[in-house]
Amino acid sequence: MVDAMIEFRDVSKRYGTLVANDHLSLSIRRGELMTLLGPSGCGKTTALRCLTGMNHPDEGRIFLDGKDVTDVPTHQRELGMVFQNFALFPHMTVADNVGFPLMIRNLPKEERTKLVTEALRLVRLEGYAAHYPRQLSGGQQQRVGLARALVYHPKVLLLDEPLSNLDAKLREEMRFEIKEVVTRLEITAMYVTHDQAEALALSDRVAIMNRGRLQQLGTPEEIYESPNSRFVAEFIGLSNFLDGRVSGVRGATMTVAASGLAIQTPVLPGVTSGQKVLLFLRPNEIELLPAGATSDANIFPAKVEKTTYLGDTIDYRLVFGEGADLRVQTDARHRYAAGEAVRVRLPRVRSWVVAD
Amino acid sequence: MTLLRAYLTGLRHGWFVLGYTLCVCLTLLITAPFLMITLRSVGKGWFGRLWLPPQLTWEWYRWAIEVGNIPEVMKNTLIIGAIAVIVSTIIGIFAGWAFGRRQMPGKELVMAVILLPRMIPPITYALGVAKIFYTLELVDTHLGVALAHVSVCAPYAILVLSATFEGLDERVLEAASVCGANTIKRFFYVVLPLIMPGILASMIFSFTHSYNEFTLTLLTYGPNTVTLPVRTYLAVGDGYWEITSAMAVIMVVPSLVILAIIQRRAKPEKLVGGFKGV
Repeated sequence: MVDAMIEFRDVSKRYGTLVANDHLSLSIRRGELMTLLGPSGCGKTTALRCLTGMNHPDEGRIFLDGKDVTDVPTHQRELGMVFQNFALFPHMTVADNVGFPLMIRNLPKEERTKLVTEALRLVRLEGYAAHYPRQLSGGQQQRVGLARALVYHPKVLLLDEPLSNLDAKLREEMRFEIKEVVTRLEITAMYVTHDQAEALALSDRVAIMNRGRLQQLGTPEEIYESPNSRFVAEFIGLSNFLDGRVSGVRGATMTVAASGLAIQTPVLPGVTSGQKVLLFLRPNEIELLPAGATSDANIFPAKVEKTTYLGDTIDYRLVFGEGADLRVQTDARHRYAAGEAVRVRLPRVRSWVVAD
Repeated sequence: MTLLRAYLTGLRHGWFVLGYTLCVCLTLLITAPFLMITLRSVGKGWFGRLWLPPQLTWEWYRWAIEVGNIPEVMKNTLIIGAIAVIVSTIIGIFAGWAFGRRQMPGKELVMAVILLPRMIPPITYALGVAKIFYTLELVDTHLGVALAHVSVCAPYAILVLSATFEGLDERVLEAASVCGANTIKRFFYVVLPLIMPGILASMIFSFTHSYNEFTLTLLTYGPNTVTLPVRTYLAVGDGYWEITSAMAVIMVVPSLVILAIIQRRAKPEKLVGGFKGV
């Protein structure tokens, strides 16, 4: 790719027998905000540390703005980074923290003051220049961290779980703040997190990692709407899975026998009768109908096992077919009680072929 | 019920009174010798069963300074102390870094060996030191006596500084690197300021130990390297109690100054732990 700002080319990193990055190839476009998303131990942090130079990959090369930086020491990589635990310098004031990268680069005093003021205005902390980090709240400290990372206009901004140490409400606010700042500066950013909601809300593209490999790469919509594996589907949003076998293919639809039901779903390329597939249904894409509703394709009788009131939605645990569990979330307009017989309509069923 | 509560309150009160009394007694026990020495250093004609000296005088201090050659002795003590502080702290910074930042094989064993000079009877250790120093011709040199002191000062410096380095947040150092600081700039702008409280604590510990050290000095000193504790001890042998007391009081002054500095300026937890990356 010509306009890649960050590029991992076939990067592998092992710790003893543990493979943290397994031939990882990934490129982040200029001006793009990409999230590396995955559970702990998936290799996202190792990838980040390879990029900052705190780890050296065993194999592969890393490029920054077209230049091979694999052997360049951290302090010469011109990066801006925001840390999970803020990692501010406790012995310096906010202004000195933010001005640190400029002082290291021997910028003249007036220019330093100008840039620091600018950066503090960007994160709305103008009045706090003379404070020490310990006098600030967690959210303010992280904004100082963001200002310090951006003050010298680095080529790329790295964010290592920057919101994990903040409480839930603040996390949501900061999410938008980071997104806004990054968009305004048109900076290339790599955001590492295990929080799927953060990833969906912030990213231009999401890279989902699993066991050191790239599992899926795509926009938040692509990742959510068409996950390429059970791992991704489970990791992003809620999901139901049903094992089944293809019982017939007709034009663009195929029929899958699962839990004693004949479920219609769009045909998979090259699928043949008798092949094993995994059906995947989002709980909010299933409709609940009264027991007397008309019978039609993909409408099946079910029984409510348990209901949970969640405020804006109601979460139902249903049983249908030959005892398969189904989780459904609907709005609270019509409520069904536990034990009640209902019908479920499955307007949208996705599937993958599974090895037998 | 009320009676029980009154009883319990009374009991608690009783314990409090007892504790308080004991504290006062202990304070007296600690301060009485000081008082004694101070009075004696300014008393004249204080013999027999008199409770207080009949006359006060500064004469003994003049004697101590002139005959006891205190200025010269004080100079020796401070030179030796300064060398011991510098050497111990440098050792402490490097060893503390190794202990506090890295997984070291045999860390416990090294620690045990380092603390040995303080654990075995000082005279045993001092005899060995003396024998070696006579062979190396280090006896009666400021450096020699200071090196003997380092063997007890350095362990404290190492303990304090390894705790300081342990408290140093790895990610703050990483942040400095990402910001563009190379190893040297990182050390001077980030590491050094953060471990400064530990360095100060280690210097204070080292100095007081060198300043108070008696046994090791006694076996390594010579005419040119008499220190305050040794000079005072020798004066006891001469039998002039008043002059000895004056010396003892002079000797206490720097210790009290240091104590005052510690109490005023530094919180002990700050000295040992360094800053945590809050």
